[in-house]
Amino acid sequence: MNGLTKTFGKVRAVDDLSFTVEPGQVTGFLGPNGAGKTTTLRMALGLITPDTGTTTFNGVGYPGLPEPMRQVGAVLETAFHPARSGRDHLRVYCRATGLPVGRADEVLGLVGLGTAGRRRAGGYSLGMRQRLGLATALLGDPAVLVLDEPANGLDPEGIQWLRGFLRHLAHDQGRTVLVSSHLLSEVEQTADRVVIVGAGKLVRQGTLAELRSGSAGSVLVRSPQSTALADLLRADGTTVAPTDATPDGLTVTGLSTDEIGRRAFAGGIELHELRSRTSGLEEVYFRLTAGSEQYAAVHAEQGAV
Amino acid sequence: MGTVVARLVRAEWTKLFSTRVWIWLLIGACVLSGAFAALFTAFAGNPDSGLPPLDSPEYGQLAFSLATNATVISVVLGIIGITQEYRHRTATPTFLATPQRGRVVIAKLLAYALVAILYAVVVCAVTVAVVLIAGNARGGAPELGGDNLEVLAFAGLALVIYTVIGVGLGALLKNQVGAIVATLIYLFVVEPLLRSIPATSGAYKWLPGGALEAMTATFEGPDLLEQWQGALLLLGYGLVAALLGTLLAVRRDVV
Repeated sequence: MNGLTKTFGKVRAVDDLSFTVEPGQVTGFLGPNGAGKTTTLRMALGLITPDTGTTTFNGVGYPGLPEPMRQVGAVLETAFHPARSGRDHLRVYCRATGLPVGRADEVLGLVGLGTAGRRRAGGYSLGMRQRLGLATALLGDPAVLVLDEPANGLDPEGIQWLRGFLRHLAHDQGRTVLVSSHLLSEVEQTADRVVIVGAGKLVRQGTLAELRSGSAGSVLVRSPQSTALADLLRADGTTVAPTDATPDGLTVTGLSTDEIGRRAFAGGIELHELRSRTSGLEEVYFRLTAGSEQYAAVHAEQGAV
Repeated sequence: MGTVVARLVRAEWTKLFSTRVWIWLLIGACVLSGAFAALFTAFAGNPDSGLPPLDSPEYGQLAFSLATNATVISVVLGIIGITQEYRHRTATPTFLATPQRGRVVIAKLLAYALVAILYAVVVCAVTVAVVLIAGNARGGAPELGGDNLEVLAFAGLALVIYTVIGVGLGALLKNQVGAIVATLIYLFVVEPLLRSIPATSGAYKWLPGGALEAMTATFEGPDLLEQWQGALLLLGYGLVAALLGTLLAVRRDVV
């Protein structure tokens, strides 16, 4: 995706967004609600025309792909005619994309909907709808899968199944999987890489390990001799910064609490507090996207009332 | 492209015949035209009804033209054919499978025109059957031939064209309920008003209703076009609606 931008009225939903998704990996596409994830995915798939920018799959834009369903499978929403059976729903797209209709039964089995396929989709539970959506995406046996909030409405067992299924598709079968979510915890155990957006802009991208390391090793130290302590710690090039919260506090990056304590003891410096501030991934995500919700202001006002 | 459209047409048929809408609409169309045929035949020649007598050539043509009462169902069939994609949000997977949206609309036009031929055959058969049975019961049904047959053929053609118009309207308006309500109001309120008001009755012959009436009317009604001109005009409406609908469907974002 390269330089995608889309404005709805006065709202810039997606703002100059660029990133790349690699095969054989599950890439999590993270951001709070309203961050522009769905708009981005719909632009990538040719459903929404971007104001600027392009998206390509192996160098070709979605509408230019011959037999797109055989190359890219997408689950954007649970869209079915309620009176049509899941099996007939799949058969429609078999016909539209030139696949044998028997493929419908194959993918029903693949997502564990086998017998339910003949029932009307209107009577499906949310979890079954998600599975039918996934089945639709898998019809053409595509090398690339794009899933928009696939875990929505799934029970814990379903989420467990989905995680395993997506990992299997990417790691064992070498497919490219891009899965969006507004909850980090949903992709934390599935994704190899994450792309984080907020207010339509790219906030951060990288592996989960990189994301964690971005905040690891940060330690808060409080000491009445903070200046002396800072000089001591800086001696070997360690990054030390004053903390806003307390006048006698320091934030030290790259050293463990043990090491700081040892050096302070050796230097005869009194410590009042020494604690690790390494935050969990969830906290990192929250910090990266804080305030970037499209409707953050509205929530704040409602909170005040 | 030909094979692609052919398989999209089959996909449309799978969509249509995998829910029950088609059978209810077909029953509705048969009941509508059959009921009018029965009613008119029962009162043919009755001085109070103003209908020509049962054995007159005028009556034969009038009776067989009653199949056009099902045009309202035809247009609804076309509208549903396209608006259900937006109503149930299946436009997303449909356009994902075929990003060339123009092909989807062309396939819908073809698929529904062909289905409409089937509808037209059934509706015409029901109309003829009712007229013949009810007429014979009163001692003399109109014969199935000559001008009568021509009227019947034009009525069937009108049913097909109205379905095409419906597909075009559906693509234009997207909203299923809105499109159907607007069409019903137009067909049953606006057009009859325009037809009866002297100031606008001159323009009526250029409207779809006027074109339809020109194709099948045998009465001395308002000023109308020739039969074939009416057919061409109606076909023109169908094509314009389809073209506009296609252009809009292609350009609009699917959100």
